[in-house]
Amino acid sequence: MQNIQKPAVSSDANLQREVAELMIECLNLEITAEQMNPDAPLYGEGLGLDSIDVLEVALVVSKRYGLQLRADSAENQHIFNSLRSLADHIAAQRTC
Amino acid sequence: MLLLRAMAWISMHLGRRVGRAVLHLSAGYFLLFAPASRRASRDYLRRALGRPPRWRDLYRHFFTFAATIHDRVYLVNRRFDLFDFEVHGGDILRRLLAGGKGLFLIGAHLGSFEVIRAIGRKDTDLRVAMIMREDNARKINAMLAAINPEAVQDIIGLGHVDSMLKVRERLDAGGLVGMLADRTSDNGALHPVQVLGAHAHLPKGPFRMAALLQRPVVFMTGLYLGGNRYAIHFDPLADFSTVKRDQRDAALTAAMNRYAALLDQYCRKAPYNWFNFFDFWQPAPATTPSTS
Repeated sequence: MQNIQKPAVSSDANLQREVAELMIECLNLEITAEQMNPDAPLYGEGLGLDSIDVLEVALVVSKRYGLQLRADSAENQHIFNSLRSLADHIAAQRTC
Repeated sequence: MLLLRAMAWISMHLGRRVGRAVLHLSAGYFLLFAPASRRASRDYLRRALGRPPRWRDLYRHFFTFAATIHDRVYLVNRRFDLFDFEVHGGDILRRLLAGGKGLFLIGAHLGSFEVIRAIGRKDTDLRVAMIMREDNARKINAMLAAINPEAVQDIIGLGHVDSMLKVRERLDAGGLVGMLADRTSDNGALHPVQVLGAHAHLPKGPFRMAALLQRPVVFMTGLYLGGNRYAIHFDPLADFSTVKRDQRDAALTAAMNRYAALLDQYCRKAPYNWFNFFDFWQPAPATTPSTS
């Protein structure tokens, strides 16, 4: 997806770690935050999450960081592509 | 699709009686030439009837399936006048909808889910958005478009973050979201249950979604009773509205066991309405993922 602009703010390693821990906790994943490759796809082959897992992550993350996620946003697929893209989005859009 | 269009034309122009004559042919065809379906039917009927099924039972099973598919043509074309619907538990649905936060309507391949359109004729706001796999969604909408282009259903395809957000928006607007929760699709997590006295596995996905989005769940089935008669049943299944995360797993288990008990109950009540013509009671695959 070349046409989607990257958020102006990039996440740092701390935020990525925080989001990883949030995901591990809410999905009871059997890995540690260090083992999580920030660029691996969240869906399917990478982390192996299904769409309901990703919904759970979306709900938890939007609550924790005060994000507004909308359906029909072309960005959604990009945001939930990987841990890094999700953390980048949070860094750019967080309200708390 | 041409065949379907032709069948729809026969049904609409020559009437339900002529259409049904064609159905007897197709039920007979399946009975004779679809051995895998026949085996599944026999296995299921033995459990549901509590005795070895006869050929007549098998025929009736296939015919009931064909009849409900055929009646879809009329339901989609809003010919509700042709049918006699009994509705049980409609007040439950209205009471829960009055909460304004929407609800999940969970059904099965048991009877006809399409009869919900008949309920919707009185309350025009009772439109159900169905959640299903993307490939199924495309097929169904192509079919509906062939029968009646105005009837194309609101379908939310699974598999994206976006689809989940759409479900939430639908519910937030007080709407109904429908799912059939008796077939396992991809490699999602399974829950063991008892249906008709034997172990079976049901997908956790639909109930996990309802639990995550904290909504009430109502069970729905439209049982075909023969002739032009259907009995539509709504039963309260679960209410996740106030279920917190630490209680979620327990609530999920309770809801799925209740769902299995409802399947059991309605299979015994209307045995020929079960439309899973495969081995529903097969053991779970060994590679079941551990995510809950």
